[in-house]
Amino acid sequence: MLKQPRKSAIPSIPALITFFLLSSCNPFSQTGDLKTFRVNLGTEPPSLDWSLATDHASFNVIANLMVGLTEFDKNLKPAAVIAKSWDILDGGRRIVFHLRDDVLWSDGKKVQAQDFEYSWKRLLNPKTASEYAYILFDILNAEEYNQGKIDSPELVGVKASDDRTLEVHLKHPASYFLSITTFEVTYPQRQDLIERYGSKWTEPGNIVTNGPFLLSSWKHENEIQLTANPDFFLGKPAIDKVEMFMINEKTTAVAMYEQGRLDFIDNQSIPIFEKPRMAKLPGFKAVPQLRGYYYGFVTDRRPFDDVRVRKAFSMAIDRSIFPKILHGGERPATSWIPPTMLAQNPKIGLNYNPPEARRLLREAGYPDGKDFPQVTLAYNTLEDHKTVAEAVQGMWKRNLGVLVRLENQEWKVYLKKLKTDPPHIYRSGWGADYPDPDNFMKLFTSLSGNNDTRWKNPRYDQLLESAAREFDEKRRIRLYNEAQRILCETDVPIMPLFTTTEHTVLNPRFTGLEFNSMARLFLREVRPASR
Amino acid sequence: MVRFLLTRLLHGLAVVWVVITLTFVFMRLAPGGPFDRERRLPPEVLANIAAKYHLDEPWLRQYGRYLLGIARGDLGPSYKYVDRGVSDIVAETFPVSALLGVLALGFAVAFSFPLAISAAYYRNSWIDRSCLFLATLGISLPHFILGALLIWLFSLQLGWLQPGRWEDLTSTVLPTITLGAAPAAYLSYLLRSSLVESLEEDYVRTARAKGLREATVLFKHALNNSLIPTLTVLGPLSAALITGSFVVEYIFAIPGMGRFFITAVTDRDYPMIMGVTLVYTGLLVSANFFVDLLYSIVDPRIKSH
Repeated sequence: MLKQPRKSAIPSIPALITFFLLSSCNPFSQTGDLKTFRVNLGTEPPSLDWSLATDHASFNVIANLMVGLTEFDKNLKPAAVIAKSWDILDGGRRIVFHLRDDVLWSDGKKVQAQDFEYSWKRLLNPKTASEYAYILFDILNAEEYNQGKIDSPELVGVKASDDRTLEVHLKHPASYFLSITTFEVTYPQRQDLIERYGSKWTEPGNIVTNGPFLLSSWKHENEIQLTANPDFFLGKPAIDKVEMFMINEKTTAVAMYEQGRLDFIDNQSIPIFEKPRMAKLPGFKAVPQLRGYYYGFVTDRRPFDDVRVRKAFSMAIDRSIFPKILHGGERPATSWIPPTMLAQNPKIGLNYNPPEARRLLREAGYPDGKDFPQVTLAYNTLEDHKTVAEAVQGMWKRNLGVLVRLENQEWKVYLKKLKTDPPHIYRSGWGADYPDPDNFMKLFTSLSGNNDTRWKNPRYDQLLESAAREFDEKRRIRLYNEAQRILCETDVPIMPLFTTTEHTVLNPRFTGLEFNSMARLFLREVRPASR
Repeated sequence: MVRFLLTRLLHGLAVVWVVITLTFVFMRLAPGGPFDRERRLPPEVLANIAAKYHLDEPWLRQYGRYLLGIARGDLGPSYKYVDRGVSDIVAETFPVSALLGVLALGFAVAFSFPLAISAAYYRNSWIDRSCLFLATLGISLPHFILGALLIWLFSLQLGWLQPGRWEDLTSTVLPTITLGAAPAAYLSYLLRSSLVESLEEDYVRTARAKGLREATVLFKHALNNSLIPTLTVLGPLSAALITGSFVVEYIFAIPGMGRFFITAVTDRDYPMIMGVTLVYTGLLVSANFFVDLLYSIVDPRIKSH
């Protein structure tokens, strides 16, 4: 018998509110001046300390307060910011960054290579207990320092050889390492201030930054205000002030936008039912995200220890249904590396093919699903996940004759269960930390803590290692193609379903806002639209 | 009187201790921990975090550490808002919830008393029936429906009030009504029924027979004696209202404490769960303590018991 998924109270609130608000669109009232830009963060940023931050709200504030060695260009390649150039030496084991000398901290001091050395070592210091410490584990002795195996930070392979030169020694060549330097957790920090103010160094009045905006006020759970940095080395932003609100409820945020009290909204602020209506507004944009949604098989549990069964299940899913039922501009995917990332290849993967799926299932000993054991598909409690699970359940019943049991759990209980008592099939997703295929593909290596499929393939591991050490793009793409074929065609421990899209609406009175494929909001170039 | 107060105080402290202990145990028994993420952390990173927050120590020591912290007025660090202590968060958010709660309570009392008195006085008339209808509506409309209706009407249709955020006096209107509607309705019910009872008592008849003015009979004699049930619920009601409401704070984007009753649990932010539970229990115990005090003023027989 099917277990009815429990309905959570929270997802139903937006649905009900939307019901009331749907037909009630007021003409756009335009309050607010053109020097102030107002966005919704959706929630209180848990931390503005970029060694401790782990979430979008925090990073979206930090990304407007700070700049680092590099940033993404339009093609998601690392482009120079504080680093004016770099040399890759010793076959990729040593990277030397040459820094600009005109980047200033907001208290007038120059940004120096020592500020990077301090920040990176602070991220790795076990006492900092940073969740993202592992992002720098490719650096010589970094992991050992974080594990407490070596005490001296001097032995970690990052060193400011002078004020303008930062030298990084890696354990092994890593072609993706430059991409990591776009990530906020690698931004420089001021040792003097952190030591003076302790955990309060990120409060307004204490914090010193180097980016386009300055933190002028932070009313917790309520509002953050930024002001333009007149000394920003790329020039003062066109808007004087940014107000970042913390409105959790999406329908309230939409109402605020329609009343002219917000200038920009994204998925954080748009309820699913409002998406079709928002898509008609001027200033609407759909931004494909580097975020994949997949189902994983626990490959040591019968009957999914048989690759034919896994293939049959993947081939019995018509992925074109997802954008129709989720209304979020989802892009169906049969391969794992998301669109716009290097080595993305939509030709890889198992396409919808019910006759072939039935043949494979028959070959595995379950003609028309006969004698198929009771299996469970689990997901964490959320309306969207339920919608997807029910659609997939229906397709398996129709195409394979197999009725899969659905089971949902509260998020933390679900995560615990994946480790201790995994279901046959589980839902999961992944968003890029940095826009390199390594970040996506590494999930399913034998030793990855994120690999809940219990699938291991030494060839796959080896291909990823070779790709990481390879600097030639064409050769890297070939290596990832082969790895993706193993993952999505021959071994099939996972079935990628789709990649996500962010819907954004910008008040047409403004232009220049950049919202990238990692849901990062850059306000540096925002300016009034010319009439 | 002093002995009565002291006994009550000791009872209160015992209740707080029991609640803290039970919360501590149940919280740890719940599956999943504060640092379980979709993005799994390497074991060494998890070990560093566990060491930072003493989560690698035995439960009993963690419990002892927590009790010592409370004694010093330190509710520990938040595992989610890593740069802030729970005491800081409570100190910043509680006043907002408390203000909203007091406004809602004021609204509830101001609304329910006239409603209940007129309903009881003109019982079974159209006034009574209209009051009953209003009260039923208030009790049965959930916060999120009422909140949405109010936003729809006053923000989107009429454009009089803003749909969310806690900025000035006008921004408090919609959340106050949303939060206060159900208590107002409940109090009206309660007061009306006890007032109806009182109005049929012999002493009321006697008072009327003595030729006292109707207002004196109603307000001095009948109302005074009908207040006990209302006072009984006002204690816990005040505690519930001033510690905030998740739904109302969520809908209207109010920077209050109410949201943490839910989010702290879903985040498994142990110190935050303990913090809000402690504040709530403390307030509940104090509110009941004051209600006991008020009883003895309203009805002196209670003190002698």
